[in-house]
Amino acid sequence: MLRFIIRRVLIMVPMLIIVISMTWGLIRLAPGNFYTGERRLPPAIEQNIRAKYGLDKPWYVQYWRTVSRIAVLDFGNSLKYEGQSVNTILARALPVSASLGLLAYVLALIVGITAGSIAALKQNSGVDYWSMALAMLGISVPNFVLGPLLVLLFSLTLYWLPPARWSGFPSASLILPVITLSAIYMAYIARLTRAGMLEVLRSDYIRTARAKGLRERDVLIRHALRGGLMPVVSYTGPALAFILTGTVVVERIFAFPGLGTYLIQGCQNRDEPLIIGIVAFVAITLLTLNLLVDIAYAFIDPRIRY
Amino acid sequence: MKEEKPVTENESAGVEPAFTPLGTPPEPPVRSREGDIIHTSPELAVGEGDVRSAEMGAGLVHGTSLWRDAWKRLLKNKLAVFGMIIVVLITLASIIGPPIIKKTTGYTYDFIPRDVTFIKSLPPFTTPEGTFSWSHPMGTDNSGRDILARVLIGGRISLMVGIISTIVSLIIGVSYGAIAGYLGGKTDNVMMRIVDILYSLPYLILVIVLLALFGGKSPLGQLVLLFIALGSVSWLTMARIVRGQIISLKNQEFVQAARATGVTTMKIIFRHLVPNTLGPVIIYATLTIPSVMLTEAFLSFLGFGVQAPLASWGSLASDGIQNIAIFPWQLIFPGVTMALTLFSLNFLGDGLRDALDPQMRKV
Repeated sequence: MLRFIIRRVLIMVPMLIIVISMTWGLIRLAPGNFYTGERRLPPAIEQNIRAKYGLDKPWYVQYWRTVSRIAVLDFGNSLKYEGQSVNTILARALPVSASLGLLAYVLALIVGITAGSIAALKQNSGVDYWSMALAMLGISVPNFVLGPLLVLLFSLTLYWLPPARWSGFPSASLILPVITLSAIYMAYIARLTRAGMLEVLRSDYIRTARAKGLRERDVLIRHALRGGLMPVVSYTGPALAFILTGTVVVERIFAFPGLGTYLIQGCQNRDEPLIIGIVAFVAITLLTLNLLVDIAYAFIDPRIRY
Repeated sequence: MKEEKPVTENESAGVEPAFTPLGTPPEPPVRSREGDIIHTSPELAVGEGDVRSAEMGAGLVHGTSLWRDAWKRLLKNKLAVFGMIIVVLITLASIIGPPIIKKTTGYTYDFIPRDVTFIKSLPPFTTPEGTFSWSHPMGTDNSGRDILARVLIGGRISLMVGIISTIVSLIIGVSYGAIAGYLGGKTDNVMMRIVDILYSLPYLILVIVLLALFGGKSPLGQLVLLFIALGSVSWLTMARIVRGQIISLKNQEFVQAARATGVTTMKIIFRHLVPNTLGPVIIYATLTIPSVMLTEAFLSFLGFGVQAPLASWGSLASDGIQNIAIFPWQLIFPGVTMALTLFSLNFLGDGLRDALDPQMRKV
């Protein structure tokens, strides 16, 4: 197990280098520059700018500078937001994205697992059909349609909740974005849970558990749920990645100043340190979370050996 | 249909099963794939396949192929049939709809009426004077363009993006997975490790960066860029599925026979093995279409996908969201059309999976 973790941590390094190099290459190959605006700059000024930011050096020198700085987690200064380091911007944007993503994740797990288990226990009942139809709907309605519709209903018609704008962590402004973001994962998790539970409930060890006279509640929670949730656990890794990208859309819909918003702005401004900083940060987060999911997997399913 | 593929109920009945994997005596895993009877009537599933098939064979004299069986099962699934009908209707509408609208009302997706002097979007079935009319069944957008025509053109683009990107992902994923699976050993290890690595990259973030940096030059160039981006994202799962299938097939006798008669490796892979993976590939491809369409819509919504005056459902929704409070129909019509299409495609995909592989009937 320890060897597995060490190997996985070590493989993260080349992967990060790949991600950073790809992003760096894309930015360098793309037409346009952060300093070209509406008006062409006089050549002398352009030369000064290029010298100041080291753009007059050969590409490998610039590349090495970028990579070696990121190695010590210093992403440099933003080119557009003057006087602000990328780390400051990350520290400001992260709480927004993180609270959105984590709340959506937890909500999706709670509602999805509950609905899926109930559907499986009452297979072919009305509850089953309706929750699965609802889940199919959840998978099919894109979040950028669901979000505005929720806003239309709850904010602009009923006036219950604020329509947009971030206003701190525990606030009503988070309710609609979190629901919008989590809907599709809720639906997936409900379907996966139902499938997993249905398979497990028919298996021999559940019959054994019942036969030896365990209470139904113990059979379900201690035996069935543990096996039935395996598909859900293996989905949590990909789900994390999707939630990370899903926040980009939800931030756009609800005008939240999160990582996605800064990433898009950074791309539009050709703000190289900011783009690389956000991409690298997201990659690190994703790789770490995936590693945690794999470790959790081994703890839940004793059959897995690394 | 390939000769070496065990497809008919009758052929297998009583005849020595020809395609058992090496080393496993007569009760082969291949057998359990042959027909639905084994899975759908568990009271008969006692392993007496030969006897039972012989008994039931009387009614199946004409022989029934895997595909005909699957088709029958699909037609029994009401939701899948509903999905199929909706998908066909929407596809037809987006192909023949725009010319019809042009003929009857004179509007096209990019026609901006000259008398629009102020920003005013017409509600559905309304004339500028506020009376009822059939000319804009879905209303107009800010520039006075007919939303129905735009939704249909958007449908063309969205469906085209979904299908073409799925084909791209099919070509890359199937070849990659098949080659990795068949060659095995070190090659397989390296190739699949690459897939693993790509899997855990924040791929969509990179796609956003790619489109944001390179896009916006011309609508057509943007579309091509979109195909590349979407196709390159979606082949990974396909490669894994195909590899798994190929590994389970490659030691069977028909492959050995082919190898013994001196068929080249590439020919074995693409002529003998790949056709046998068609079932799972079709299932996954049908489910890839809605997911690619969703990704396209997501990118277009962010402004990196299809550019005006062209439209896709994502870009229409993105236009609509700006006026959600005053002109809700601008969002509702493209949004609901898209949701309905994805809903139907998902049902169709699920139905196909149940029909082609009854054992996988799970989620």
